This record gives sequence, C-alpha cells and structure tokens, in this order.
Amino acid sequence: MSSRRARPGVFENAAISGQAVRGLSVVVIVGVLALLPFALSSFNLGIATRILIFAMFGVAFNLVFGLGGMPSLGHAAFFGVGGYVIALGTTRWDWDTLTLAVVVLVASAALGFVFGALSCRAEGVYHLLLTLALAQAIWGLAFQQINITRGDHGITGLTRETIPFVGADRVSFYYFVLLCALGSTALLRLFVSSPVGRAIVGCREASSRMAAMGFRVVSYRISAYVVSAIFSGIAGALFAYHQRIVSPDNLAWTMSAVIFIMAILGGANSFYGPAIGATMLIVLESWVSMHTARWMSVLALVFMVVILFFPQGLVGLARRRRSRAAAERSLPDGITAAGAARSEARASSHAEDAE
Amino acid sequence: MRQMLPHILNGLAFGSLLFLVASGLTLAYGLMGALNLAHGAFYALGGYIAIHMISQYGLPYWGAAAVAMAMVAVLAVIFERVLLHRLLNDVLPQVVLTIGFAFLIADQILAFFGGRPIFPPRPPGLGGAVSIGVGTFPIFRLSLIVMAAAVYILLMIAIHRTKVGATIRAAVDDEPMARATGLPVPGLFMVTFGAGAALAAFAGVWGGGFTGLAPGLEFQVLLLSLVVVVVGGLGSVTGALVAAVIVGLLDQLGKVLFPGFALFTVYAPVALILAFRPQGLFGKAGRE
Repeated sequence: MSSRRARPGVFENAAISGQAVRGLSVVVIVGVLALLPFALSSFNLGIATRILIFAMFGVAFNLVFGLGGMPSLGHAAFFGVGGYVIALGTTRWDWDTLTLAVVVLVASAALGFVFGALSCRAEGVYHLLLTLALAQAIWGLAFQQINITRGDHGITGLTRETIPFVGADRVSFYYFVLLCALGSTALLRLFVSSPVGRAIVGCREASSRMAAMGFRVVSYRISAYVVSAIFSGIAGALFAYHQRIVSPDNLAWTMSAVIFIMAILGGANSFYGPAIGATMLIVLESWVSMHTARWMSVLALVFMVVILFFPQGLVGLARRRRSRAAAERSLPDGITAAGAARSEARASSHAEDAE
Repeated sequence: MRQMLPHILNGLAFGSLLFLVASGLTLAYGLMGALNLAHGAFYALGGYIAIHMISQYGLPYWGAAAVAMAMVAVLAVIFERVLLHRLLNDVLPQVVLTIGFAFLIADQILAFFGGRPIFPPRPPGLGGAVSIGVGTFPIFRLSLIVMAAAVYILLMIAIHRTKVGATIRAAVDDEPMARATGLPVPGLFMVTFGAGAALAAFAGVWGGGFTGLAPGLEFQVLLLSLVVVVVGGLGSVTGALVAAVIVGLLDQLGKVLFPGFALFTVYAPVALILAFRPQGLFGKAGRE
C-alpha cells in the first residue's frame, strides 16, 4: 500500500479517495452490524454472533500467521483454554466477572508465551507441526482429565446472565460480542501499526537483517504469539458463552485447521482477510447445511477449489484485479509491463505492511 | 517389569501400525515436499473398502485387502496428478488442499458406511494367543510387529538396492539435477505417492482390526503418524521406524501408568523434542 501511495501524479488523488472510501466503508460496516438485530431472525442472529467471534479469532490468529509469517496449527489451544476458563470458572468455582476476565487474559497470555518461546525458532513445516503437537498436548489434558473437564462430554450449563449489563437474550449478547470484536480489532490494528508490529513484520521479511540491526527477533516473535493468544482466548471465551457448552472440540486440531483455512481463503496477507474468510465460510456452511446433510463435502470442495484457483485468498484476488487495473492505467506514462508486474508482485507480497 | 511386558508389546504393535502409515507420509514429504494431511483418510478408506468387499462381495481376506490397496492407490495417484502436484513445495496451500480432501473422504465415508465404529475381520490363521510368561498375547498383534519389520526391510531394500530406489534417492537429494539428467521425476512422485497410499490402506485393513474404524479415528492415526514423521525426521524411513516405536510405547505406557495424562504423555515430549531438535532425530538439517 505504501508503495502505491508513494507513486507520483494521478495516484495521489487515488490514495486520498482510497482513504476516504476506506473510512466510509468502516462506518457503513459498523452501522450495518449495529442494525443487524433489527433485520435478522433470532436463529440468523446466532450465526452473525458466531461470525463476529470467528472474525475476531481470525484477525488475532493472523497476527502470528500473516503478519509474523509463523504458520501456527495450534491456535485452538488459546481459543479452547479461553473457553474452559469461562466454563470451569462459572460452573465450578463461581468466579465473579473480574476474576474470569483476568484469568482468561493471564491464562491465554501465558500459554501464548510458552507456544511462542518453544516454536519461534522453527520455520515452515516444522513450526506447523510443533504448534500442532503443543496444542494436541493441551487437548489431551482436556480429554483425559475427566475429573476436572468431564472429558469428552464437555462442560454444560453455562449461562450468560453472569456477564454484567448483558441479559440472557440473543440481542444483547450480540451487542456484547460486537463491542468486544470491534474493540479487539481496533486494539490489534493499533498493535500492528505500532513499532512492535512493524518489527514483527521485519522479522518475517528479513530475520537475519533484523537481528544484525540489534532487534531481538525471538522476543518479537514471542510478543506476536502473546498478543495473538490473548485475543484468541477472548474469542474462545465469547464462543463458550455463545455455545453454552465447552468440550475438547474447542481445543481440537480441527479448530486450528478451521481458523487456518479461514485465514488463507480470506487472504492472510491482509489485516481483515481472515475476517472476510470467516464470514464467507460460516455463511456458506449455514446456507449449505440447510439444504444437504453432506454440507461438509461441499465445504471441503470449496476449500480445494479456492486454494487451487485463488491461492492468495479472496482479498488477494481483489487486490490483483485492482493493481492490474492500476498497472494498465500507468502504462502510457512510460512504466514498462515488466515494471508493472514487479510492482504488482511487491504490492501483493508486502501488502499488509501498510494495512 | 515382567507385568509391563504385555503393555510394551502393545506399544510395539501400535507403533508398528503407526510406522505403516508414517512411512508413506515421510516418503511423500522427503521426495515431493508434500505434507499430505489426507493420508489418514487413505488409512480409513482402505479399511472400509476391505470390509465392504468382504461383506458385500464375499471376497477372501487377502483379496479384499488387495482390492482396497489398489483402489486407494489409484485414488491417491489421481489426487496427486490432478491436484496436489500443482502445489509442490508450497506447504501452506497443501495443508488447505489435503485437509479439504481428507474432510471430503471422511464425509463420504460417513454417508456411505454410517458413523458406528466397526472392526475389519482379522487375517485368517492369526487368531489365538501365545504364552509370554506372564499371560498370553494375541498372535494378531504380534504379527503386526513382524509385518512392520518386514515392510521396513522391504522398503530399505527397495530404496537402497534397486534402480528405482536409486533414482528416488537422486530425486530426493537434488530434484532439479535429477530432472536435468532426464530422470522421470513426476513419474517417481506418482509411484511413491501411490505406494505410500497403498501402505496406508493396508494399515487400515490390517491395523483396523487393532484400533477399529470410526469417524474421526483416522485423524487420530494421522496426527500420531505426523508426530512419528517429524520426530523421526521428515523424509527418513529409519527415523520413522525409531520414532514409531517411541511414540507407540509412549502412548501405551502413558495410558497404563498415567491414565489422566495419556495423550499429554505423547504430545508434550514430542513438542519438546521438536523445540530443541527441529529437524527430528534422523532428519537432514536445512531442508524445510
């Protein structure tokens, strides 16, 4: 994005109007989200709530995945532990809201630290499998510690009435989730554009150069994990309230795989891409499952088709269209086709530096 | 210690099962850089097809096993040729593609065979048990260990003593150079991938009698096999064997000694091994 803004001439206007459009679209989206309860049935509002939770989880996940360049297949651990804290805290130990919130934050942050510290040196497929093994260890505990977690049956009987100012009805819970999601997204956005966020991108792009400049690559990677884990834990806590049951499924590797797929299909090299992927997949799942019991097969086919034809995800697809159009417009100004192709490649690979 | 003997043998038998699945996974990764998360689905599909062949068409055990292996191998080769080879050496899209394929097969199995756990019949002539001093042990499980050892020896001979094996090793070590000298690398990929899938299908037929077949179970086998593959070192068959024994023993002994921590005792040590030795026990450093 920065490279596009830096170009002279007609593009300055384009950049300004681009910012205006972006500001306007944020207002419109927030407005639509705020008005949704008036338009949707109670059932569909439940789906909208789930979308918000997974959009938030996806954006938090992408802090490690897209921004940090660390392919984690273990984020279910943070999500599930957030859920288990709520489930155990409310049904077993009668914690008050403040204690619950603090324990969710501390537990997921601590877990994020452990994951980050153990896996930050492993690259690529090793990172993937190491985080998978770590998350499976946590899942195994939830599965086997039947005295505490009730094992496979999960913990039932969660109520939303303990959340302050929020009743048990779906509408007020939706607004509560919306507030949490917007607040978390804003905070994550701030974090991404902060010096620490920039340094995390730097560690992804050129870790040895960053190390040579005196940045402690390992600590930046761990901090990415901690922040990502905190917000994933909050999303998991909200999901527990939403489902009113927490089981080892919340911690299972399929949960990690789902958020991974949502991020890639939405577009992992954009800040909002995972949120778009989450929206798309949950809408599709809800719609298809109304029509056929084999909705899983349909979703699986969609995964395969999208990844083969749009490997950069939906946001990547839109970007490519846009930058191709921009390249065509700029050709008469003397930029060669090769140069345009190069800047297109740069725009797509560095896309979220500016985002 | 003598009381532990049956559990140790159980661990070895389970490790043998994992080795049969993991050897295909590790070869596919070593040769093609392909992380195939649909490998567990090949395992399940093999078992279900064999059951279907026996119950619907009255095939004998070994005939059903051969049909299952052939069908799964054909399916795997088609999957590799049509879809997977487009994403070679690109792990993240591979994860999405192969998980998609695994979910697709799992859902179709659910539609076709239902969700109840079933057990494939055991190989004929291997019923009964032998005395091992502190009791008896099923011959079927012991035979699983023998079978894994035989597969390991055959694989070693195939890889180190045959011409095809030599070309495969060449393609693993330096793929562009192997292509440049005219070796049929895509054909090698196809053969390796198909053979790996057939091995997984065989594990599903044979080992299915050990674990049973049920929806979701193939993913448990897949994840433990992945653990075996990474602990052994991606691409190393010997590493897979050693790691399969370790993981099988950790799993069984964990279940006996610390029941509340059963799965934790497998995954936590594995995570620690990987954190401090990312390339695994027998892996070559530097290859991602």
